[in-house]
This record gives sequence, structure tokens and C-alpha cells, in this order.
Amino acid sequence: MYLAIKEMKHAKLRYSLIMFMIVLISYLIFVLTGLAYGLSESNRQAIDSWQADAIVLNSDADSHLSQSVITKNQLAKLKSDDRLAQLGELGVTARDPKGHKKVSSELLGISKNQFIYQQLTTISGRKFNSQHEAVVDKSMYDSGYRLGDEIYLSSDSPAYKIVGFTKDAKLSVAPVIYTSLSDWRDIKFGATSDGQVSAVLLKKNQLNQKADDLDQLTTEEFINKLPGYRAQNLTFGFMIAFLMLITLIIIAIFLYILTMQKLPYFAVLKAQGISTKYLVKNTVGQSILVTVSGVLVGGGITVLTAIGLPPAVPITFNYPLLAGAACLLVVMSVIGALIPARTIVKVDPVSMIGGN
Amino acid sequence: MHAIEMKHIIKSFGKGIGKVSALNDINFHADYGQLIAIVGPSGSGKSTFLAIAGGLLTPSSGEMMIENQTYHNSSAKDREQVRLNKIGFILQSYNLIPYLTVEEQFRLVDKVKRTPNLNPEHVQQIEKQLGIDDLRKKYPDELSGGQRQRVAVARALYADPKVILADEPTASLDSDRAFEVMRLFKELAHTTNKAIIVVTHDRRLAQFTDQIYEITDGRIQQLESA
Ligand SMILES: Nc1ncnc2c1ncn2[C@@H]1O[C@H](COP(=O)(O)OP(=O)(O)OP(=O)(O)O)[C@@H](O)[C@H]1O
Ligand SMILES: [Mg+2]
Repeated sequence: MYLAIKEMKHAKLRYSLIMFMIVLISYLIFVLTGLAYGLSESNRQAIDSWQADAIVLNSDADSHLSQSVITKNQLAKLKSDDRLAQLGELGVTARDPKGHKKVSSELLGISKNQFIYQQLTTISGRKFNSQHEAVVDKSMYDSGYRLGDEIYLSSDSPAYKIVGFTKDAKLSVAPVIYTSLSDWRDIKFGATSDGQVSAVLLKKNQLNQKADDLDQLTTEEFINKLPGYRAQNLTFGFMIAFLMLITLIIIAIFLYILTMQKLPYFAVLKAQGISTKYLVKNTVGQSILVTVSGVLVGGGITVLTAIGLPPAVPITFNYPLLAGAACLLVVMSVIGALIPARTIVKVDPVSMIGGN
Repeated sequence: MHAIEMKHIIKSFGKGIGKVSALNDINFHADYGQLIAIVGPSGSGKSTFLAIAGGLLTPSSGEMMIENQTYHNSSAKDREQVRLNKIGFILQSYNLIPYLTVEEQFRLVDKVKRTPNLNPEHVQQIEKQLGIDDLRKKYPDELSGGQRQRVAVARALYADPKVILADEPTASLDSDRAFEVMRLFKELAHTTNKAIIVVTHDRRLAQFTDQIYEITDGRIQQLESA
């Protein structure tokens, strides 16, 4: 590494520039990874928190929760079991009595005797236990709601009272408001309310009674069919993959140009008995040094960003995930360095004899 | 024991109708304390000779020995070791790494070579002899052409090789400088007891050498000593 380090010290500007590029790219990759992870989380968090293995929806709903209605009759066909939880869903705009603080939310009705309610934990306040009470996601706190506040969930429904906050309760990027199933039915169906639910969640694949008019999906299948979820993940995946590829190409081009300039010197060094391995190691070493220092600075800026970011931005920095992205970047830099390394292997010291 | 010895070396390039015979039955040896010049017209085989002597090319047939150790048929890795430890190469240009100072050029040799190099006193003595003792902290682009070649000589000597092979080492120098370098080679061959072989097409340099060989059409022949 002697040659590598001496050269980098001598040509500081060149190597700082390429390092600066890596800083920018790695920062972009980290932010995109955080955004991808954050958005993915706020799509599925609530579902993950239920720890269900499968979900039953009406076949006509085409796997979409918001379009699914399971009637009392259909429900009657399902075994009643403690590993089964009914769920009612409705997209609502929550508002305070003055009509400020409007928040698009997911109203979810759950039954007190079933596992979603039983697993529900509050970070402040308590779970709901009587009519017109609600437990809401903690992001509602950031929107200005407090324990005991009144909240309206539709234009003609009575005021609900916030009795507790829970965490990790986001569904399709909206905060979740949990109420009882009967409250949910009142809001969604009003007078036509008749024991319907939107879906039934199952633990350990309880349902295998294949009703014609009901579909059963695994939780993962269901999440993948959340509106926009897959498209979003693919888009981010592509962007990150392209940035990785760009890193590889930048490193390869940069080192290739520098290597071409140094090639006659390398040929003479080879004539003098210095091994090709030593020269290749130095080039790969430079690539790793530049990338690791660039990624570290990029990571530092990412941490600062994470600290300074307002909570409303759906970025979640999952550090193991970012470390994975950083490692992948270093792998890219090694592959990038192997391209110029080929020219080092190929250059023939004999070509330097005779001077032409 | 000869420092370097070639027996019946033949080297040809290509096959069939395109076959070029570059060296034809070369018998040659160099001894310690000798400065030898190899001259010859263009295309006669001088560079091929030097490449084989330095283990950069393998002969088509014949034997090549350095300190009685045959190495024409050893692996590329072993030949690399021979070059590192026993041969100092001085080429026409690109001998010095542009981003290393003079003293760092020597440090690089320390980094890659396991066997010991010259001790500091010895280095100082050679630097004085070569007139480069106040250039240690300079980069190659801060040196004149002559200074650069003298540093290249010092670098080749630093690894303390038995044999020094120089390919047109004076080509980029004016005659005064060229003569100066040749005088140095002669002095070094004698004082440090090395075999120094210089390939050149400049016959005026012959006056400084102990022996002159001429290669013509791949055959070698000793000329009258100067
Ligand atoms: N790699 C090669 N492939 C084919 N022919 C070669 C190769 N290297 C050298 N030759 C041929 O071998 C002969 C000797 O070449 P060499 O380079 O040794 O000459 P030279 O004496 O060094 O000439 P110059 O003074 O011009 O440098 C020439 O005819 C040359 O064309
Ligand atoms: Mg030649």
C-alpha cells in the first residue's frame, strides 16, 4: 500500500474530487434507502404489528382491503377461534371540533375479544373500552392531538375521545385510528349496519375452508398488493441499483484513466521485479480507501440529516440496512478497480526495452 | 563463476513463413567488475538480448545462468525474484515513479524486497559519488534529465544486485552528460564489483567500457577492447 498512499498524498486534489463524488453518491443512496424503508414501513407497520399469518377478504375485492366487505352470513361460515380477528377499515379525514388539524387517517374497527385488540399496546393513555373512544397512532400527536381531545371522524358522526396513543400504527402511509367494530360500523354503514367487517385476520393459517366468495392471502401477499406498495419499492430499488452501478463505473473510469497514465511506470516496475500482485493490490487499495472514506463522510452527513429531519418526513434510517448499502458500495469499488487492474496485468515490461 | 552467462541462446518470434530469428546461437558471459557495452544496428537483436538476460523473455533454446543458477526455464514468479534480487534494470525512461521523492524511490524497494538493501552509510557514499546527495527530498519532475538518470542508477544499485542491465541509459542525455554517466558506470563496476551491461547504439561510448560486443543479425561478436 506504500505506492497507493504516497500517490494519494501527492495527488490530493484528484483523489479528493473522486472522494467527494463518492460522498455525494453514498449520501444519495443512504437517503433513498431511508426513504424507501420509511415509506415501506408506513405502508405496512400496522399490519406487521398484528403478527397475523393470513387475511381473508371478499373475493370481489381483488385483494384490496378498502373494497372488501364480509357479511354476517359469510362470517358465520368461518370457524370462531381465538386465532382469528375481525377488522373493519375505512379511510377518513380526522379533524378537531374547530375543523383545523385535518389528518387523512385509516379508521380500523377491532373487537375487544380478539388478538388485534389484545396485542395492542399504548405508549400513553389506555386502550378504548367503551363507545366513542379511540386509540390513535403517535403521529397524531405531532399533528397536534392530545390525550382526551375530541376528534371527528366523519361529518355526521359524534365526537370521539382520544384515550390512548400507540406506536407503529401506520397503514398505507396514514395514521391508524383504532375504535370498536360497532363504532366503525356506525360510521361506515350507518343505518344499514348489520354485523359486517372488512376482513378477517388469521394466525397460523386457521382457515382452510375455502369459501367460494372469500379469498385467503398470506400477510406478505396482502402487503404486496397494498396500493402502490410494490411500485414504490421497485422504483426505489431501481434508483439505488443504478446509483450502485454508477459508482462502479465512476471508480472504474477514474482509476482506468490514472492507470493508463502510470502504465509505462508500472511496466518498468515489473521489469525491476516488482510483482503484478503488488501493483494490483495498490490500485484496489486506492479504490477501497477512496470509497470507504467517501462512504464514512456520506454516512456522517446522513446521521446529521436524520437528527435534523422533521418527524413528518417518512424517512427511517435503519442502520443495519444502511451498513448493508455501504458494504455494497465498497464491493462496487473493488469490482470497479478490477477493470483497470486488467491493464496492469497485461502490460508487458518487454515493451519498455528499446524505448519504443 | 561468471556473473551472467548465456550458452547457445536462440530466440525466434512467430512461426512458419512469418518466423523472425532475433538471436542466433548467442554465447556470452560477463564477469564481476566489468563494464560491457553491447552495440549493433537497429533490428539486430540488442533489445531481445537484454530482455532475455533480464528474464523478461524466455529463449527458444539455450541456457541462461546468473551466478551459475540457470533461470531461463524457471517460472515467471522465480524470474521476478531474480530480477528483484540480482538484477538492476535501468531503462531509457520511466525509471522513477513521478509521485515519489528520490529517497522514497529507495523506500519502495525496501517495501517489496525481503532481502536487505544497502545500509545508510553505503547509500550516502553512492549518492555522493553520483552527485545526488542533496536531491533526496525532490520529486523526479524537479530534476534535470542527467540527475534523473543518476538517481535511476542509484535506485538500481540500492537493491545491491550482482548485475546491472542498462538499455540506452544515455539516449535522453547530451554527450557531456552521457559521457559522465558512462564514466560513473565504469567506476561503479570497478568499485562495487558488479557486472554492468549497457546496450547502446552510440559507439562513442565504447571508449569507457572494458569490453565491447557487437550484435549483427542476431549473432554476437566481441570487438577489440577500447
Ligand atoms: N515481439 C516480437 N515479435 C516479432 N518480432 C520481433 C519481436 N521483438 C523483436 N522482433 C524482431 O527481432 C529482431 C530484433 O529486434 P530487437 O528489438 O532486439 O532489435 P534492436 O537491436 O533492439 O533494434 P533497435 O536498435 O532498433 O532497438 C527484429 O527483426 C525485430 O523485428
Ligand atoms: Mg532495441
